[in-house]
Amino acid sequence: MRPKFRLSGIQWALLGALLFEVIVFSASSPAFLTWTNGMEILRFSVELGLLVVALTPILITGGIDLSVGSTIGLVAVIFGLTWQNLHLSILSSAALALLVAGICGLVNAALISYLNLPALIITLGTYSLYRGVSEGITRAAISVTGYPASFLRLGQGYLWSIPIQVFVFLLFITFYAVLLHRSKIGRALYAIGLNPEGARYAGLPVKRYLALVYLLSGIVSGIAAIIYVAHLGLAKSDLGTGFELQAITAIVIGGTSVFGGRGDLFGSVLGLLFLCVLQNGLHLLAQPSEATGVLTGALLILVVATDLVTERLKAARQGLVRWRRPLLLAGTAGTAVIVVALTLVLRSSQTGSGTGSGRHHRPVIAVMPKAKGDPYFISARAGAEEAARQLGVDLIWDGPTSLDPSMQNELVESWITRRVDAIVVAVANKGSISTVLRKARQHHIPVLTWDADAEPDARDYFLNQATPKAIADSLADEGARLLNGKGEFAIITGPLSAENQNEWISYIRQRVAERYPQMKLVTVLPSDDDRDKAFTQTQNILKVYPQVKLVIAISAPAVPGAAEAVQQAGSSVDVIGLSLPTICRPYIRSGVVQTIVLWNTRDLGYLTVYAGWLASQGKIPADATATQAGRLGALDVRGSEIILGKPVLINKANIDRLNF
Amino acid sequence: MNHRVRETALAATIVALLLLLGWRTTGFFTPANLVDLFLANLPTMMIAVGMTMVILTGEIDISVGSVFAICSVVMGECARTGLPMVVSLVIAIVAGALLGAVNGGLIAYVRIPSIVATLATMVALRDGLRWYTQGAWIQGLPQHFQWFGLSQSSFIGLCAAVVAVTVGLSAAGLNNLRIGREVIATGSNKAAAHMAGINTSRVVFGVFVLTGALTGLAAALNSVRFNQVPSNSGLGLELKVIAAVAVGGAAITGGSATITGTVLGVVLLSGIGSALTFLGINAYWEKAIQGGIILIAVAVDALQFYRKDKAHTLAA
Amino acid sequence: MNTLLSATAITKSFAGIQALKGISFELRAGEVHALIGENGAGKSTFTKIVTGALQPDSGEMSICGQRITNLTPQTARALGIAAIYQQPLLFPHLTVAENIALALENGTHGWRVDWKRRRTQARELLDRVGVHLDPKRIAGSLSMAEQQIVEIAKAIGSDAKILLMDEPTALLTDREVDHLFSLIGQFRQAGVGIVYISHRLEEIQAIADRITVLRDGCTITCRDAAGIDRGELIELMVGRSLASIFPKHTVAMGPTALEVRNLSNSSLGLHDISFSVKRGEILGMAGLVGSGRTELAKTLFGLSPDTCPIYLDGRAVQIHSPAQAISLGIGYLPEDRRQHGLILDMALDENISMASLDQVCRMGLVQRGKEAAQGKKYILDLHIKAAGVSVAARTLSGGNQQKVALARWLAINPKIMILDEPTQGVDVGSKSEIHELIGQMAARGVAIILISSELPEILGMCDRIAVFREKTIAAVLDRQEATQARIIGLAFGHADAAILETGQV
Repeated sequence: MRPKFRLSGIQWALLGALLFEVIVFSASSPAFLTWTNGMEILRFSVELGLLVVALTPILITGGIDLSVGSTIGLVAVIFGLTWQNLHLSILSSAALALLVAGICGLVNAALISYLNLPALIITLGTYSLYRGVSEGITRAAISVTGYPASFLRLGQGYLWSIPIQVFVFLLFITFYAVLLHRSKIGRALYAIGLNPEGARYAGLPVKRYLALVYLLSGIVSGIAAIIYVAHLGLAKSDLGTGFELQAITAIVIGGTSVFGGRGDLFGSVLGLLFLCVLQNGLHLLAQPSEATGVLTGALLILVVATDLVTERLKAARQGLVRWRRPLLLAGTAGTAVIVVALTLVLRSSQTGSGTGSGRHHRPVIAVMPKAKGDPYFISARAGAEEAARQLGVDLIWDGPTSLDPSMQNELVESWITRRVDAIVVAVANKGSISTVLRKARQHHIPVLTWDADAEPDARDYFLNQATPKAIADSLADEGARLLNGKGEFAIITGPLSAENQNEWISYIRQRVAERYPQMKLVTVLPSDDDRDKAFTQTQNILKVYPQVKLVIAISAPAVPGAAEAVQQAGSSVDVIGLSLPTICRPYIRSGVVQTIVLWNTRDLGYLTVYAGWLASQGKIPADATATQAGRLGALDVRGSEIILGKPVLINKANIDRLNF
Repeated sequence: MNHRVRETALAATIVALLLLLGWRTTGFFTPANLVDLFLANLPTMMIAVGMTMVILTGEIDISVGSVFAICSVVMGECARTGLPMVVSLVIAIVAGALLGAVNGGLIAYVRIPSIVATLATMVALRDGLRWYTQGAWIQGLPQHFQWFGLSQSSFIGLCAAVVAVTVGLSAAGLNNLRIGREVIATGSNKAAAHMAGINTSRVVFGVFVLTGALTGLAAALNSVRFNQVPSNSGLGLELKVIAAVAVGGAAITGGSATITGTVLGVVLLSGIGSALTFLGINAYWEKAIQGGIILIAVAVDALQFYRKDKAHTLAA
Repeated sequence: MNTLLSATAITKSFAGIQALKGISFELRAGEVHALIGENGAGKSTFTKIVTGALQPDSGEMSICGQRITNLTPQTARALGIAAIYQQPLLFPHLTVAENIALALENGTHGWRVDWKRRRTQARELLDRVGVHLDPKRIAGSLSMAEQQIVEIAKAIGSDAKILLMDEPTALLTDREVDHLFSLIGQFRQAGVGIVYISHRLEEIQAIADRITVLRDGCTITCRDAAGIDRGELIELMVGRSLASIFPKHTVAMGPTALEVRNLSNSSLGLHDISFSVKRGEILGMAGLVGSGRTELAKTLFGLSPDTCPIYLDGRAVQIHSPAQAISLGIGYLPEDRRQHGLILDMALDENISMASLDQVCRMGLVQRGKEAAQGKKYILDLHIKAAGVSVAARTLSGGNQQKVALARWLAINPKIMILDEPTQGVDVGSKSEIHELIGQMAARGVAIILISSELPEILGMCDRIAVFREKTIAAVLDRQEATQARIIGLAFGHADAAILETGQV
């Protein structure tokens, strides 16, 4: 009899790499190898992990399912809406949501297995379809929060100090392990992956089993969605964005072939752990989030290439194939690329540990922007670094690189584990982050919010640069001034699901309705924070709505995009919005952009670190009405809000005096 | 061949869409709008031509969005240092080709499955670029950056010429050059191609380099439409391109695809996006509609294939 | 006569197993040199070495007196070596004309494609093969036989000095075979050297000038074809004498196990088929390739279901799927062993248990021990040469693979067994073992349908023979009344019968 369980070469390598990871991280960060941190890693790997176990059998049949991430979004939205709007109980809305998940899986199953269509293209279609439907029915703006604590326990609570969802995950791992490795269905799935025609001739119900795995993948995505909602305390249309590719990465690193027939569940789970540990460890070491992506990509290639090259070397030695020089060259080139990537990581990790080494003496202030690549936050960073230098504190500046809301939570978790001295967060999703912020406060870490606020009880102070209402009012007033109080206007927003922007839009609508009844908002179009898309959308507005006299662009990259469109069309439409002086300067000078509304982002960045430091030193008394903030001088404190000042209107007159 | 049927059906759909637009809207058929539409979808079109060849060989490239972003930044950086625009353009194209060569090398010579290799480069390149730029835009570009220092209309003419030449050459090359037939042969049956003396590794490597170069060219042409270069362009571009090629009738398993089909696919998908605004349909439904179109296009193809399959068995 | 190709002491090993232990071979201009041997003797490996697809480990090879090292497919082509492989290797998305052109053109034809030239060239070559095939047809739409013809056209068009043919007639009709043989005659006269590999000894005796016999990777002997008889050849190939090739046991027949009345299947073109098989009976099915035999098997096994009822033990059933067919006790050993008969990358025991998983399962879970024991039993019973039950089927030789494929169906304990070309591409030793197994199955009361293109096999094994023509049964003959000539006559229709009565089979 053959051994029951055997690790392939790639899996041994992976196991070694995982151990290596654990050793390196625990050597450089004492917080890494602790029970709580381990459990946090597990908690954050459950949703992705469920997708990994559901996708493994699909890859083994030689298929693929790109729609799982979108299914999570759709199911979360259905779950949230039925609970909130139809007032169903949690249980019945969950059942309904799982039914939708089943339908999602069924559509894939029917098209792929019964119509025999290529899985890649079909699930690419449903990837777009499911996400589109969830955006359509919520207008991408609704986010359902306020779930009862009994439900949130599923995603946030513990049982025997193990996160509850881990038990669900273990249940599914067991189920899938039996299905794939013990049952006759699993045997058939391997046969299908190796030779679907051969499996059919052996009397295996190929279509039925294929349909089954896609159907199951839909349902498991649904369960992942419900756990995710409980985890974040929030249901929204953009949940699960990009999960499909992460899951596939984990599976492939775990040794499953995308051609089917090769791989196992153990490898996939190993791959998942490897990636999650990597991400957690890099955060604990205060490495930027981009490092995870670069390392993941490089390791994916390294692992798969090593596997292939060893196999080919073996084959070449046995005379099956000729050894070819190009292979050697390509191998060398590939290794070189990876070495460069690793050196980059190491070099920056040295500089990182250089500042990190003194952390027992110097306070560490962790500041999170809403998104790392946004020009607005980049300019705030400059101010934050200035304050850090001035105060002699260490600054960790990291934030999400994608839309997914769990990224912020995960970073805060790792900062709690790392025991930073203050956490300052620009909140992307109020509902989802408040829980973890409360946890930070329980650990006696001062929590401040900036740019957008969390639940008031989840933070110590909010650095109020301007309320959403103040921003919206300034924009509406400025617009009304330009239009003399009457006429049509359009709004270009960021992604449709951006919470801030949606709040601004609603306040603009409100202000216009109250004060300027003769003004009319004709359309709101998304730019996805992409300058080029804002450009195209503005071009469309100019043509479709010729009466529009004003475009309000409320995402930093959208203003130059809109301005360029207006300029190229030679139109006289006014552009105002919320953006940065640096990227709008040419347009303000040329008069295409009349006004942008902003506060001094550099000052705001400065304040994040300064206030964080003050709070960590306990230098803000409970009943203070004002506080000294370095070069900013005395700032008002109202209750638990520190007021930076009013939004500034930036126009031709003052643009050249601003350096941010 | 069923390509002709598919292309006719696509063309008919496009005509129907245009008729609908002509009937329900005003302003769609103005030259200005058509030019805008053309420029906005120029990157998709250029890259889709390369992607068609990649898919013809039976591979796939999901890293084009990241390559696009890198080439845009390279173009900007070069221009900022004061290099002549033509040199910057060439450097951007070479950068694209080099990244394509990395993909191609990993796929053709190390034999990593293309979806795995390009998934890895997609993630690594995108995050690497973010790391390098820290999200900062490239600003302070010289005056002659925008439009290559040409007038707007002559730049549009240049773009039209570039697209026409790219599409024309690729279509003609695939049909009438030996190397073009080798691309198709490689995707159709790799073992047979090898026995026929075709260097299949070099063919696969070549199409990835070509796609990289086309991506670089597209990025350069796109970036000069503005006077600053953002660092996060091309997000989601790969899916847009693959969807267009699939709607154009390409078989994802290789050996079967046409440039005409791809061009029609790009026109249809990009036309839909703009049409929604013109028809006043809510932008929230755009993704759903595009997904639906992909599914319908592929499913219709399957039904058509069913019938053809049956007819053929009867004839045999 | 000058020597075109000479190879001495060629060795080659795969994964530690020595496939060629020392092959020596010589080919002269203007001769047909047959290469025979059991499966696994090294014929295909040797062919691949000569065409440059594989590199030998040691040994010397010279072509036209020139020593050759590092042969690649390209250089082999340039040296005038062409091959027809056992399995057609075409581009399914391209036209016939282009398939031919891609194989023939090389760098010298320039960058551009000359479509007109390609089409005329293809038409000329197909005419020379004697087949009317539209050069504009897409290769993917061709039948296997037509694909093989395109392969032959490719080889002819290459103007090769050395032509290797590996089982070129396996898929062809007799008429096409005759034409091929006359072509071979023309080539011989033109001074081309032909290496002819086949399991059909009659063919070899008909056309070969010399015969080289391989066994276990070694050259056993090289003889003039004249004056050698079949028994002697077989003895040389297997290294032992075979008393009888077709052991026909007389079996007491039971009641009718399967019957169809006026069966038709519109998607496959079958019409008006009526026949029955009794328990213990072997019903042969003869006919040309594409005459409807495999199509019938697919209908009965539920691979291409139709609405016509099938009567099993007198009870009408409709078979929708292979799974249902298996549960009704029908087994089907398909024609294409590598694509359909086995999952080559799976272990032997997994392949054997595949159609009868429920027997080794409890509550849907596979019991590995039981499965391995079952596999072991069949490996012993059927004399399958393998290192163990957990090796992949790919590592076995053709004959052993076929026995594994057969074991899968023995494991379901079938009531009705359909065997589609069970001995095609199988060496002589395994062949007689398989015949023996078929006989034993019949003796156990299994109703057997035996589809075969080898008439001696049909005549030797079967109780009755159904002859197919144009997707229906032309006649059912009793064992006593069946002769080769009669079967051929029925298979071709009466018009051709007279001509072929004397023809070579």
